[in-house]
Amino acid sequence: MKTLIKGSHYKLNPSMVRLAHHLCPRGYERIQLGSPENGQKDYYGRNNITTVRPEPVEGHHQTPLKCIILLGLIFSVYMLTMQPVMAHGEKALEPFIRMRTIQWYDVQWSKQKFNVNEEINVSGKFHVAEDWPASVPKPEAAFLNISTPGPVLIRTERYLNDKPYMNSVALQPGGDYNFKVVLKGRLPGHYHIHPFFNLKDTGQVMGPGVWLDIAGDAADFTNDIQTINGEMVNMETYGLGNGIFWHSFWAVLATAWLLWWVRRPLFIARYRMLQAGMEDELITPFDRKIGKAMLIGVPLLVFAAYSMTASKYPKAIPLQASLDQILPLPAQVNAGVVNVETVKAEYRVPERTMTFTLKIKNGSDKPIQIGEFATGNVRFFNKDVPKPELGSSESMTSSEGLSVDNAAPIQPGEQRTMTIAAKDALWESERLDGLINDADSRIGGLLFFYDGTGERYISSLTAAVIPKFN
Amino acid sequence: MSANLSTQTFKPYTGEKARISRAYDYLILVLALFLFIGSFHLHFALTVGDWDFWVDWKDRQWWPLVTPLMGITFPAAVQAVLWGKFRLPLGATLCVAALSIGTWIARIFAYHYWNYFPINMVLPSTMLPSALVLDAILMLSNSLTITAIFGGSMFALLFYPANWPIFAMFHVPVEAGNGQLTLADLFGFQYIRTGMPEYLRIIERGTLRTYGQIATPLSAFCSALLCTLMYTLWWYIGKWFATTRYLSNI
Repeated sequence: MKTLIKGSHYKLNPSMVRLAHHLCPRGYERIQLGSPENGQKDYYGRNNITTVRPEPVEGHHQTPLKCIILLGLIFSVYMLTMQPVMAHGEKALEPFIRMRTIQWYDVQWSKQKFNVNEEINVSGKFHVAEDWPASVPKPEAAFLNISTPGPVLIRTERYLNDKPYMNSVALQPGGDYNFKVVLKGRLPGHYHIHPFFNLKDTGQVMGPGVWLDIAGDAADFTNDIQTINGEMVNMETYGLGNGIFWHSFWAVLATAWLLWWVRRPLFIARYRMLQAGMEDELITPFDRKIGKAMLIGVPLLVFAAYSMTASKYPKAIPLQASLDQILPLPAQVNAGVVNVETVKAEYRVPERTMTFTLKIKNGSDKPIQIGEFATGNVRFFNKDVPKPELGSSESMTSSEGLSVDNAAPIQPGEQRTMTIAAKDALWESERLDGLINDADSRIGGLLFFYDGTGERYISSLTAAVIPKFN
Repeated sequence: MSANLSTQTFKPYTGEKARISRAYDYLILVLALFLFIGSFHLHFALTVGDWDFWVDWKDRQWWPLVTPLMGITFPAAVQAVLWGKFRLPLGATLCVAALSIGTWIARIFAYHYWNYFPINMVLPSTMLPSALVLDAILMLSNSLTITAIFGGSMFALLFYPANWPIFAMFHVPVEAGNGQLTLADLFGFQYIRTGMPEYLRIIERGTLRTYGQIATPLSAFCSALLCTLMYTLWWYIGKWFATTRYLSNI
């Protein structure tokens, strides 16, 4: 570093040199603007300088480069490890809501590989828990929905208890329902899809999900609908051209209005003229005529177009906003044949085991055994009982996760107090064990009994859960 | 600079000054366009939101009430500046045109290409006729009071009839699920929206039932009344927050 400033006894420090580099890349010439002979001042306003071109400061240019390389490395790692997001927040809802609101079972998909335009359906059953959480609003408006990444499928029909319905519906706690949704492939791809309920003021209670593969070409998709008047319309394009026309029509008029003003000097010129009291010259009589034409012409155009449209669509009706009313089926769960009372429930944290003490009374005429416990889409099976058909639904299953303290069948008329244990890491991986940290730490689920003929009896369980930490 | 100007002493810019002044005009216009595309579109999406997003939210009661009421905000504020400081009667049209550009970009790229919804299901409404009339009334009256009362009212009253030519055809009835729906309702049913169940729609709710089936005019007049107040409020917001003091340094 050879730069010195005479007179001021002022040494340039490295940061000043860096500044000089920044301010004038050809710093030598600029700094020499001032010279002691002619009394001129330098770039910073100082006198009497002797300047030598500053040498590059080591590391000065390397720092941004290093930062860019580091950011590039981070970005590369991020890009190389990037994967599509596959979740829909199934585990996000608090466990007590997933276990004690909509209790899904027997969910089946007719097909998992199909083509664009091909229809499939998902059907199944659900029980609305009697022990509905106090902090969750009652299901007075619920919408049976399908979780998709956008409308890759369209929903063409939907049934609840075999009745078609289009809107939301009120569900009854304790009620049993079956459902069917017909879907039609629209966009090819590999998608993870769930049936689920949107519950008003609560959230989305997911049913069991599957992977669907839609093949074909998106351009082949058609969705023609017949109106009540008998007209066939293509839902993919209906009304689009008309909408673009009207937007363009008004856009042309608005652009003309804007250009009318923008073609003249605008801000500084008009500001000065306004300040000079020349307001009358800013808005000319011709401007005022155009303004009057706009004031009269635009509303006339609007109402003319409105009248023409009203006469073209005389049968247009308001949007429909009704709530469908569908009563539950006769009891499928807690049907009065097998009665279960939950005495106690404990969750052993280290063992990931939920233990229930139950009082069971078999009111059927055949011996029965406990085959399955299901909650929050997780299914625990008793290995000593023939496993039912699992179907295409990929519910999380623990094939040997359910054990009972007394494996002997419960005889007709017998009342027995039993302890059953549902043990699996699924409690943790499905985040159901978060129950013990919830404000409402009660569990709910369905218990499935089978007799020797394969007849099934379903009872619901509900109890407060006591955590055991060791 | 300008405080000392008078009609006698005023000299228009010529030559280089005029060219720089014009370049400044274009610079501000381009910046304003992007600013309003972003900010007004964001404001509109957050306040009007679903009523403007979806064809099955455009009802007779809430859509004509909420949309003009939230749509008159930026036009009023920008008019306060452009008219008050420059006598430019294009504030409303500029804002609404910017909103239209932003809305169409979002509908095509975000809703259609990104989320696969057909564009006709997410057609935006237009407020350009309302904005043109609002600008014209301000220019002709040069009065905040008259523009607020008559311009604000016209802004709201023109909204529904200006949009009916776009959306009437979506109100044609169809038979579905043993019931009657509009084509717009059917869009909502068929094209699956995971986070938008039917019950979330705020449509056809209210106490306008005692007036038979003429809810729309009542809603529009209610919106007109509120727009006069909203216009005035946002005019003053524009006036308070905008400044031309930097022009004094030129």
